[in-house]
Amino acid sequence: MRFQDAARDARAVVYAGIQADPLVARLATLAADASYGQRLLARAVMNGESTESETWRRIFPSVLGAGAPDPERAEAILAASLEVAERGEQVRSQFRGAFVESLAQVLVARRAGAAAVRRERRVLFDGVAAEIHPYDLTVEAAGREETWDCKWGARGINADVLNQLDDARRHAADEEHALRVGLVVFDVRTSCAVRLSQQTAPRQGTAVVTLETLDALAGRKPTPA
Amino acid sequence: MSDETAGGLGSAGAVPGSPDPARAGGLLATALAALEVLSELGETIEDEWTYVTKLAEMGRARLNASVPDAGALVPAETAAAIDALANEAGRITDPHRAIDWLSTLPAIAELALGGGTAGAAPRPGTGRA
Repeated sequence: MRFQDAARDARAVVYAGIQADPLVARLATLAADASYGQRLLARAVMNGESTESETWRRIFPSVLGAGAPDPERAEAILAASLEVAERGEQVRSQFRGAFVESLAQVLVARRAGAAAVRRERRVLFDGVAAEIHPYDLTVEAAGREETWDCKWGARGINADVLNQLDDARRHAADEEHALRVGLVVFDVRTSCAVRLSQQTAPRQGTAVVTLETLDALAGRKPTPA
Repeated sequence: MSDETAGGLGSAGAVPGSPDPARAGGLLATALAALEVLSELGETIEDEWTYVTKLAEMGRARLNASVPDAGALVPAETAAAIDALANEAGRITDPHRAIDWLSTLPAIAELALGGGTAGAAPRPGTGRA
């Protein structure tokens, strides 16, 4: 088993510009230490219609109201999420995807070490054709290899993604490597469970990290609401 | 669903003659009505019909569970939160975005109603990192 940079097509070059936008990194850094409620706020605002902050203050009194914990972070998340929401629909969608990848990278790096975490990499196995799509995130440390795909919503869970992850896990096992594979989904657990229940692709060996369990990526317990 | 039970988007279940606080049952009706609007919009994506109907079913269950006492009085800010949430849901016109909101609305309502910690949420079968 070995890792390799993915060839960059035109789409990847454009997307790389989104990934490198400072707003993506700012949001990811904020969300990495956010509570469940603050992360839910980020999801709602980036997916919402309203771009007036007052609307969101009314909807999230326990996150943005008087006496809410960590108000500076909550306000910063609101501001950054509104910046994403104010973009056009297509750009907004790309930002959301890049944000989840960046957030996963920050969290996984806390557990695995930043040097071991890579983006947009393929995993190659002897005698096996390479997958077309690279993995969003890999951990490339001897004996602790991991591959992760990142999704904004539960609707991103599909047979192709599950099959690719499971194939990688099985091919690694064939080479006597224990490759950890998983999905990071910035959506609530119940929606992911519903989506997974409709899939026939193998998923028993695939970890699914949801909005409620993101902190597990960093090797820590969830932050309270 | 009748008008009486649906409450209507943005009604927030206010007690007649006394706009705040509101009854939890009224807020629940408002949130459920918003969920139905999103569900109907999401169902127009034919390939996602099964997912949407199941998601709506889970959402209704989650909302009902978040209001154990429909007669309980709730703070004015909670009523305002559910009201604003329903209004925001009512602004959605894109069916794809409606599906995303169908996923998120019950969790936000639960948070506004005083529940919804990450550790307390149900665990219906997803794996762990």
